[in-house]
Amino acid sequence: MPRSLFDKVWDAHVVEELPGGNALVFMDLIVAHEITTPAGAIAIEREFDDRLYDAQRIVAMIDHVAPAKDSATALQGQTVRNWAKRQGIVFHDIGDNGICHVIVPERGYIGPGMTACCGDSHTCTLGAFGAFALGIGTTAQAGAMLAGCLILQRPKVMRVEVTGTLQAGATAKDLALTVIATIGFRGGTGYVLEYTGSVIRALTMEQRMTLCNMAIEAGATTGMIAADATTAAYLAATPNAPAFSLDVQADPDAEYAKTVTIDGSAVRPVVSWGTNPGECSPIDGVVPFDAPAESLAYMDLQPGQAMTSIAIDQAFIGSCTNARISDLRAAAEVFRGRKVTVPTIVTPGSQVVRRQAEREGLHDIFQDAGALWTHSSCGPCLGMSMGVLAPGMRCVSSSNRNFPGRMGDGGRVHLAAPVVVAASAILGRIASPAELPAIAPREAVLA
Amino acid sequence: MIVEGSVLPVRHANIDTDQIIPARYLTRIDTAGMGEHLFEGMPDGATLLAEHPGATIVVARENFGCGSSREHAAWALLGRGFKAVIAPSFARIFEENAYTNALVPVVLSPDVAEGLMSARHVVIDVAAETLRADGGEPVAFKLDPLRKQFVLGGGFLQYLNAKIPAIRSWEAAR
Repeated sequence: MPRSLFDKVWDAHVVEELPGGNALVFMDLIVAHEITTPAGAIAIEREFDDRLYDAQRIVAMIDHVAPAKDSATALQGQTVRNWAKRQGIVFHDIGDNGICHVIVPERGYIGPGMTACCGDSHTCTLGAFGAFALGIGTTAQAGAMLAGCLILQRPKVMRVEVTGTLQAGATAKDLALTVIATIGFRGGTGYVLEYTGSVIRALTMEQRMTLCNMAIEAGATTGMIAADATTAAYLAATPNAPAFSLDVQADPDAEYAKTVTIDGSAVRPVVSWGTNPGECSPIDGVVPFDAPAESLAYMDLQPGQAMTSIAIDQAFIGSCTNARISDLRAAAEVFRGRKVTVPTIVTPGSQVVRRQAEREGLHDIFQDAGALWTHSSCGPCLGMSMGVLAPGMRCVSSSNRNFPGRMGDGGRVHLAAPVVVAASAILGRIASPAELPAIAPREAVLA
Repeated sequence: MIVEGSVLPVRHANIDTDQIIPARYLTRIDTAGMGEHLFEGMPDGATLLAEHPGATIVVARENFGCGSSREHAAWALLGRGFKAVIAPSFARIFEENAYTNALVPVVLSPDVAEGLMSARHVVIDVAAETLRADGGEPVAFKLDPLRKQFVLGGGFLQYLNAKIPAIRSWEAAR
C-alpha cells in the first residue's frame, strides 16, 4: 500500500502496537532543556536509580532563560547541568546556548527519517528535515529518557500542497500564518501536516523550519517536509551531520486523510490582530468586520481598522520561529541607515547565530538603528525573563504566539515576519517595509 | 473511581496553557506550588475562581489546553483541587499530560458540555465512563482505553519501564 512520508517514518519506529490505536514509538533523539526536563530527570533518579535508556540519544542545553534570571531558574539550569554531566549527555551551557529548535538543526543532531521529541511544543520545527518530531509533556519526556519510547496515538496525515511561487515581500512566516488561517487555528488537531508543492521545494532550510515551527499553532501534532538536495546541503555543513539517506519520500500515490491546496503565489504579508495565530489580516488590510468581540476587546481594536494604523509600544525580533541568520539578515536590510522609534529587542536564536551575525556586522546595524542586541534566549516571546510587556503594552513580534498574556500580563502581541517587525519598529506602528521612505544617498553613506 | 463536585465554567474556546499557568511560574524543578497561579493568565481567571470556590471540575469550550506543552498546566489544575476537565475537544499534548497525571479529560459534544456550565453538581464514574449532572440521566463518554489505566492507577513510567526489554530487542533487530 502506498504510504505518506509520515507513514514511512512512523512505521519504521513502531516497536509495538498498543490498545486503543496507541503505539510504542521509538525516539532517535530526545532534546532536553532547563524548563521542562528537571522534574522528569528527578523522577527517574528517585524511582529508577537514575537509569536512562541511552544517554547518547539525549542532547541538553540552556535554552529559555540564559543566563539564569534568579535563584529558581539557576536551580533549573544547575539541575540539568549536573544531570547531563553525571550521565555523559551532550550539554550546551550558557555561552554555547540557544533555543533548542535552533541548536539541534545547526549542530546537525537531526536528520531525515529520524524521530525526535522534547518537552517543548515547537519541536515540530525539526519536521523541516523529514523527521517526525513532536512536543510532549515532562512525564512523557521522562518516559522517553527512561525507555526510549513515547506512547502515541497514530495521527492522521493532511497533505498541504503549496503551489506556485512566493511573490516578493511574502516570507515563510506569512506562509506559516496563511496555512493556519486556511486550515483553521485548531484545524490541524489530530493530524501531521505534510507540506509539499513547488513553493515548499523552493524554500531554504531556515524557511522550512519557520513553516514547520508553526504547525503546532494549527493544533497539528507536527509538520513534515521530505528531505531533498536542500536538506542534504544544509546538513553537510553542520558539525555533527548524521549519516542519512534521502530515500524516505512519500509514495506518489499515497492516500491522505485530507488534502489542502494553497496558492503560494497569492500569499501576502500578514499580521495578526487577534488572540490566536489564526487571527491575521494582510498588512494592507483591515481588522475584519466579523472579528470576535472578545479578541477585539483584549487587543483594544475596532473592526475595519487599518492594520497599518495600529501604533505599537515595542518590537521584538527573535524566537524559535524567526531568529536564525537569514531572519536577522532580512531584518538588518530594513534597519540599515534608519532609526527605531519604539523600544526594540533583537535576540538571536543561538550563540552560533549571534556570532555569525556579528561576523557579518549585523549587530552594528541593529545597534546603530537604536535596537537592543542581546545574547540568545527565548527572550520576550513567552514573557518569562526579559522584555516582558506591561498591561496594555502592544508589541509587534516575529515570534509564534499572541495568546492573552503570552508576553506579559495584559500585553498585546501582533505576529509578523522579521522584516515587518523592523519596519514597524521604525515607524512606530504596524508597517510594511515598502512604506519606508528611501534613504537619501548621503544618509546612507553616513550610516 | 468517582470524581464529583461543582464546576468552574470557563466560557471560552482556545484556552491555551499560558492562560492556565503563565510562563513566569515555570521556574521550579518540581510540580509543587502551581495551583496558586492557576488561570492567572486568563483575563477573567481570578474572578471566575473567586465566584466558584471549591469547584473540582472545569467545564470549557473547544480546544482547551492548546499552545505550550507545559505539563505545569495539569499540575496547576490538580494543585488547585481540580480532578477533571470537560470540553468538546482538547489539544493533544494537554490531553496526554492530563492522562499521565490522572486529571480526567472528558470529551463531550459542544451542546452537552455547554449545558454542564450551569450544573451544580457533577458526578463522573471514570471506570464506567459515564457522567451525571444534578441527578439527571447518565451521559456516556469515551476515554483512551490504554491511558485510562494511568488515570485509575497511575504508573505511566512503570508501564514504560516494563517495556524496556522488548524495546531493547526491537532496537537490536533494527
